[in-house]
Amino acid sequence: MDQQLELLQGTLDMLILKAVSLSPLHGYGILLRIQQISKERLEIQQGSLYPALYRLEHHGWITSEWGESENKRRARYYRLTAAGKRRLESETKRWNQMTAVIAGILRTTPEEL
Amino acid sequence: MTSWTRIRSWTAAMLGRTRMEREMDEEMRYHIEARAADLAEQGVPQEDALRQARLEFGGMETAKDECRDAVGVSFIETLMQDARHGVRTMLRAPVFTITTIAVLALGIGANTAIFSVVDAVLLRPLAYRDSGRLVTILMSGEDPVSVANYIDWRDQSRSFAAMGAADFWSPNLTSGDSPEHLTGLKVTQNLLPLLGVQPMLGRLFAAGEDQEGADGEVILSYRLWQRKFSSDPGVLGKSVSLDGKGYVVVGVMPRGFQFAPFWATHAELWTPLAFGARIHDRGGNSLRIFARLNDGVSLKQARSEIAGITGRLEQQYPGTNREVVVVPLKERVVGKIETPLLVLLIAVVFVLLITCANVAHMLLARAAARQKEVAVRAALGARRGRIIRQFLTESLLLGGVGGVAGLGLAALATRALVAIGPASIPRVQTVTIDWRAAIFLFSATVVTSIGFGLAPALQSLSINVQDTLKEGSRGNSQGSGQNRLRSALVVSEFALALMLLIGAGLMIRTFAALQEVDAGFNPHHVISIAVSVAGSKEADPARREIFYRQLIERVRALPGVQAAGGINHLPLAGDSWGWPFAIEGRPKPRPGESPGCVYRIVTPGYFEAMQLPLIRGRNISDTDNATAPGVVIINERAAQEYWPGEDPLGKRISFDSDTANLPTWLTIIGVSKDAKQDDWAAHPLPEVYLAALQNREFLGSPASYFAYITLVARTAGDPAALAPAMKEAAWSFDRNLAISQVVTMDGVVAEATAEPRFEMLLLTIFATVALVLASVGIYGVISYSASRRTHEIGVRMSLGATRGDVLLLVVRQGVWLALAGSGAGIVGALLLSRLMTKLLYGVQPTDPATFATVAMGLGLVAILACYLPARRAMRIDPVAALRCE
Repeated sequence: MDQQLELLQGTLDMLILKAVSLSPLHGYGILLRIQQISKERLEIQQGSLYPALYRLEHHGWITSEWGESENKRRARYYRLTAAGKRRLESETKRWNQMTAVIAGILRTTPEEL
Repeated sequence: MTSWTRIRSWTAAMLGRTRMEREMDEEMRYHIEARAADLAEQGVPQEDALRQARLEFGGMETAKDECRDAVGVSFIETLMQDARHGVRTMLRAPVFTITTIAVLALGIGANTAIFSVVDAVLLRPLAYRDSGRLVTILMSGEDPVSVANYIDWRDQSRSFAAMGAADFWSPNLTSGDSPEHLTGLKVTQNLLPLLGVQPMLGRLFAAGEDQEGADGEVILSYRLWQRKFSSDPGVLGKSVSLDGKGYVVVGVMPRGFQFAPFWATHAELWTPLAFGARIHDRGGNSLRIFARLNDGVSLKQARSEIAGITGRLEQQYPGTNREVVVVPLKERVVGKIETPLLVLLIAVVFVLLITCANVAHMLLARAAARQKEVAVRAALGARRGRIIRQFLTESLLLGGVGGVAGLGLAALATRALVAIGPASIPRVQTVTIDWRAAIFLFSATVVTSIGFGLAPALQSLSINVQDTLKEGSRGNSQGSGQNRLRSALVVSEFALALMLLIGAGLMIRTFAALQEVDAGFNPHHVISIAVSVAGSKEADPARREIFYRQLIERVRALPGVQAAGGINHLPLAGDSWGWPFAIEGRPKPRPGESPGCVYRIVTPGYFEAMQLPLIRGRNISDTDNATAPGVVIINERAAQEYWPGEDPLGKRISFDSDTANLPTWLTIIGVSKDAKQDDWAAHPLPEVYLAALQNREFLGSPASYFAYITLVARTAGDPAALAPAMKEAAWSFDRNLAISQVVTMDGVVAEATAEPRFEMLLLTIFATVALVLASVGIYGVISYSASRRTHEIGVRMSLGATRGDVLLLVVRQGVWLALAGSGAGIVGALLLSRLMTKLLYGVQPTDPATFATVAMGLGLVAILACYLPARRAMRIDPVAALRCE
């Protein structure tokens, strides 16, 4: 396994939105989904997941309801709202622009100046 | 996000408070269990799996806090949660809680009440327009002035915008259904306008109304208007009969208006003062002068101008203008009460300091006990700010409840103070609870409780969590710093308590000395009523003497009456006139240097009724009447003062000021014991008793200050029970007789010592509170430190220390604290008790007996307070004490 990367400031919200956009998930499921997609290369402080979820729900970007988990336990499932979908799109766009700009800067060689 | 969703989220969070907590908990627990299950599947041993899952998750409390923060209602939420927790904590330690709240309430209550009185009596300006510019001009700063002097001062001075005069007036209101003896003032026309208070109804006196013949107007006080005229708005223009003369009501003063503010404070009606023939009178001093300083004129300038004027007048009319003093009106009003109130204020500030020290104590002790709780919460992931907020909320809660209870107590205490306060305190009737003081004190105590509630929390957090937990119940790490703080608090509490106790002790000795004072007469079983004939048919000179004689006879015949007589002014309760006289055969004294005396007029039977013994000579009898030669009785002081080394009996004196005619000589027939005059603590002045049946003014003057008699009767039983029969006896002659001043002599004596009694009572209450608080403080410190030395004591006992050694060990610590405090207190008391000099009687402010008694008493209390924890320490089982480590 490659060395784990620490999550960049402010990106957890985006990852959560993305994770629940694929299918409704409970908190632990979100963690597993992100790790699965990232091939376990991102280190996520598990406890910090929940404040992020509460924050997102408070903003109205995700919504939650209690359901039954795969192991027949009561669990709280989060799902993306319409507002959350728009938010995810704008965040994704912003992120892509940002990475393109930063990557461009970092690629720059002396000759190009 | 729309504001709607925000509100919805907020209300949902508020309403679903417990649900949110429950769900948050469930959700996180599910996470950890699911993770543990996954770990177990990956081969981690079952028992380690849960542990590892928890570790991975991190601090659950922190996460929850952040969740609450995220929902955005966190502050109020947390506050409610903390408050709930705080209430639970408080209920779990009811003794601590109740004590703290009681201590806070007491401190705030007592302080607010005293501050309220001080504010109303001392600090608040008098209720006149720009009252700081008002002054009084009086002989020696307190004695009345003659008419001619007033007129000269008024006409010659330039420093004053206006200068008015007031004369005492006590008319009988006879127009109502029951006659009433009232207190009023005759005032010059310019006097009321210079005060700057507008009448509520009608008008003030108009120019020219203070001329003889035009002076038939009267202005009523609000209370008199309410009481006698049923608040009739149509009272203006109505006629009232005062001393049998008709007056027209021209105005009603507003509610709360009081004039004059010192002397004649119960005046309820005012009428114009017409000088008439008195404008040339420089001898009869009866006026009080009030003036308003001109703009830009200082008190000093006014004083020097008056000094110049009176200096010239004194040369012109020797003996008439000496020591004329301009005093700011407020100073004249509050001057005498200033010292007692300041002493009480200092005392109550001490109580406040002790209160704060005690609250600090209890919170420190409690914080020490809760050190472990803090450590546990910190270990569970509670953030620093969170713990501090929790402590803050608890302190606020405690301070708040104590404060509210204190305000309630303050309202009660203020009312009680006004009720028990002596009537001689000026403006006491205007006392209301001072909310500024209440709020200030409330804040002060709350800040104290926060300060001392929070400091330990901060301290606890800075210590090593693991150490504290490991140390177990001993929690030693707070260490000596806190202990030193607590010891310092105890020392200061003791110092303050000692000062208060000495103050109280000095007042108790003063009061005891005052109780020992010999009144000269025997005040027990004596009742007195004043019967005024002014305005009735008995005022007629042809009838008055007969009426007085018959009235006294009728009172003597009442069942239980042993002796009865009459006098013009009752000692201590009534007026006290100082009159000059001449002694036969002595050279005419220079003006203003005539011998003077307190002038009383008595009927036969007065000395017997008062049991005022004659030392020499004979009593005034029925045969000393208008046809017999004039006689007087003098008191011992007069005999010593004017006939030193001589026998005064048979000597003659005269009160005639008219030197044109032959004087009426009065022969001294007896010398009586000195009786108290108008000041209980003062040594009696020379006094002369004239025979009523020989006194033309007493038997004939229509003036209301002459046309009355004060009856005194001695009974076998309860004197107060005789009052109705005495009143009936008077009214059986004439229903129009106004009766006033129904008092027992015991009551009069109690009233004369009411002020020191009041001061003694309050100081004693404060000192007792201080003593209790200081004892609680030392008890707390000693028992806390003894409990922390359990191990040490166990070691000592196992090494052979006896129980006596242990007792000594524990008590010694407390005694040192008490000694240090008492030492500081004695020094403070030596410095401060001088302030009390004016309040004391028969005892020095540094009275060694009081100091010693108080210091010893306080020491005993300290030993007792230490004995209880020491006894507990003595019972320590050394084996158990050592094993518990």
